[in-house]
Formats: sequence, C-alpha cells, structure tokens
Amino acid sequence: MQKHFEQELESLKTNIVKMASIVDEMVENALTALETSDLELCKKIKAKDREIDAYDNLIKTQCENILALFQPFAVDLRFILTSLMVNNQLERCGDIAVNITQRVKPLINHYDLVVESKIIDMVKFSKQMFKEAIDSFINRDLELANKVCGEDNVVDGYNKNIFYYLIDKMKEKHELIEPASHLMILSRHVERLADHSTNIAEDVIFMISAEIVSHKHKLMKWAEKEQSKNQLETEE
Amino acid sequence: MENIKIKTRNLNFYYNKKQALFDISMDIPEKKVTALIGPSGCGKSTFLRTLNRMNDLIEDIKVEGDIFIDGVNIYKDNIDVVELRKRVGMIFQKSNPFPKSIYDNVAYGPRIQGIKDKTTLDEIVERSLRRSALWDEVKDELKKSALMLSGGQQQRLCIARALAIDPEILLMDEPASALDPISTTKIEDLIFELKMNYTIVIVTHNMQQAARVSDYTGFFYMGKLIEFDETRIMFTSPKEKQTEDYITGRFG
Repeated sequence: MQKHFEQELESLKTNIVKMASIVDEMVENALTALETSDLELCKKIKAKDREIDAYDNLIKTQCENILALFQPFAVDLRFILTSLMVNNQLERCGDIAVNITQRVKPLINHYDLVVESKIIDMVKFSKQMFKEAIDSFINRDLELANKVCGEDNVVDGYNKNIFYYLIDKMKEKHELIEPASHLMILSRHVERLADHSTNIAEDVIFMISAEIVSHKHKLMKWAEKEQSKNQLETEE
Repeated sequence: MENIKIKTRNLNFYYNKKQALFDISMDIPEKKVTALIGPSGCGKSTFLRTLNRMNDLIEDIKVEGDIFIDGVNIYKDNIDVVELRKRVGMIFQKSNPFPKSIYDNVAYGPRIQGIKDKTTLDEIVERSLRRSALWDEVKDELKKSALMLSGGQQQRLCIARALAIDPEILLMDEPASALDPISTTKIEDLIFELKMNYTIVIVTHNMQQAARVSDYTGFFYMGKLIEFDETRIMFTSPKEKQTEDYITGRFG
C-alpha cells in the first residue's frame, strides 16, 4: 500500500514538473517573441496553453484521488495541498505567457519604446523568479523559496518605473499613447507573473516548514496599525 | 490552560523482567479525548491499563513512578482499587455484555454498589442508555437478552454499563476496531458527546479515527512516549521524525 502511495506521489510530482517546464518554455518563448516580434511563435505559445489546461485537470484529479484513497497526513498532506496550489499558479502563469504574446503585434513598430521602457529586463527578472520558485518546489529548497519571496519588490519597482516612464512618453508624443498603453498592460501581466512565482515560493515554504507565510507581512502591518489605533483611543 | 485530570511521572512498567514502559511522563487533560497511537507492542494498551490498575490482575508485574488522578497517587497502598475502577471505567475492543437482559447489564454495577430501589435503577438504566446513544433503539425491549443486539449496539451497551456507575474517566481500548463503518461513526459521535462530562483516553490503531475524535494524541514506540501534543499538531506538523514517519506510513 505504501509503495502504491509513493508511486502516486511521484507521478503527481512528475506531472507538476512537466507542466512547469511547459509554462517555463511558454514564458521563455513569449520573451523571445517580444524581442523578435515573431508572430508565428506567438501562435505556438497559444497552442501550448491547451496542454497546460489538460495538465491542470489531470493534477486536480490526481490530488482528489490521493486524498480520497490514501488520506495522507502531515508532510504528505502538505505536499498534496501545495501541489493543488502550485497547479493553480502554473495554470495562471501559462495564461500570462499567452497574454504577453497578445501585446507583441500592437508593439511591432515600437521596438525602441519596448527596449527603453526596460520591460524586457522586467520579463527576464520575473522569468528567473518563476524558474527559481519551481526549482524550490522540485528540490524542496527552503532557502531558494525565501529568496524568491524577497524579490517581489524588485518587480514592483520595475512596474512603477515603467508606468511613470510611459506616462512621460505619452505626454511627449501623443502618437505613443496606443503602444504605451499596450506596454502598461504588458507590464501589469509581467508583474502578475512575479506575483504567482512568489505565491509558489510561499506554498513551498508551507510544504517544507508547515508555516503559512502568505499575507504575513500585510497582516502584521494591519495588526500593528490596529494596535496603535487602539492605543491612541485609550490615551484619548 | 486545560485542567489536568491524570498525571503520570517517570512511569516504568515491567512484565516479569521485561520492561514494557519507559519513563512515561504525561499530562492528560480533563474532559478531553486523548488518543494513544503506535505500532503493536509499543506499550499503549499497557499504559492505558495502568491508569485504572487493570495490570494488577497480571502476575509478576512491577510498576515504578507515579500516576496521579486529581492529584492523588493511585499506586499508593491505601488506594481502594475497586473504588478506583468505579471512577475509571474501561471499554474493550471486543464488546463483552453479560448473558443477561439489556436492563440487567446496565443495572449490574449499581446493584453491586448496593442500589436496590427499582425507580432509582430505572433512572440509572435510562440515563446511561441515553448517554450511550442506545436508548431509542432498545427502550421497548429492555428485557431482551443483550446478546441479541448487533456488535455496534453491544459496544454501546458496554459503554452504558460503564457509565451506570458514574465514572469520571473512560478508558477505551480500540472500541470500534471490530465494528462496521456505521457503528464506528456512532461510537465516534458518542465519544464526542461524552467528552462534555468525561475524560476519555482511547487506544486506536486507526489513524484517521485518532485524528477525528481526539483533542490530544500521544505516540508510543517501543515502550516510550515519543511525542505528545494537540492532535491538530500531531497530524499536521509533528516535531519528531519518528512520529511523522509513523503517521505517514513510512515506519520501519
């Protein structure tokens, strides 16, 4: 029974790794398509999304079966829960790769704006975060997962800088309003890619250490705010 | 913080010269369910039986260390063991009703205690059968033989019999392991109800059952208490690797 269970877990992990490698390839190709304005490549990326959807359903079914048939505990239970959560994030990352390709055509004649906005650097950075998040899942690497969680601010910084850079450009030249708007949307998609990578890393931390770190910072800040508010009220 | 009902300190137990329990110190909270898990021969049933001195019935045993119930050491010479077992009832794996009527099974303990008044006995029988969730099924056939009941009903009758002498603690040694899933659910629901009024210690091999019914869990291995914590923690993030290996089936 235990052997059967181990095989099921291994098969689940293999499918997540396969799905992750397809998403990784999609994001890599989306970057290439953006850099080279390759519309044929965009079509291929879109076609790959169907494979991701199929893996999404397969992994959900596998998780459901394992939970129903083996009722795992502790580290095994956390692995299944993490697999479900990572699966969800991967599916969305696949969608983001497709979203990126949808901006390639409108930006075909504005390569200079694309390069100067630093969006390519942002995509590269987010892509690296995604890759490291997946590596942390595969290798159960807590240190790497923590590293990814700390990098989200960098991408937020890219997003902010690109936004203000594009606002300035639009003010300078009205004919850039359309491509700059597409770039703003693109930047938002890439920022979401980094968010999903951070979510994956947070899920990995939960899987390894049983600690829930999602929203921790935000909740702590909120608690501090509430505390100081209460203190002020008491003083008054 | 919970009230501690049973406290064991440095408990060692020997069958002849073979040591079965090693230095067990454990605080069992009042009106909670504490599950004892571990592989066969790990000492969990032996430990359970030390709590009402059932092991005294076996020859050549030796007990070292202390067990306190409500602060009183139950292994001191002046303890009345019969009185102790009235306070600490026990339910076994195999239901063992007497070959008597349902009524007489439940009334057995109170009668031994000297209660003869029919109305009082009627009240005790009804209350005990209600508490063991059997009343509705047997109220019209109390004079029928207990042996006519199903396995699950017999087990609940044994619980009613234990409740009839008004114990404070219930020890359960795999109480549902011989029952079908429906009867098991009834016993588990009953345990949930009973913990409002009783401190329950249950030995089970069924990990899911331990997770479902208990508030605290102790993991025993080779006579030692490896880990004891809230059930929620034991089954999600145990601190000891041996515990994690056991509950995830990677033992040995």
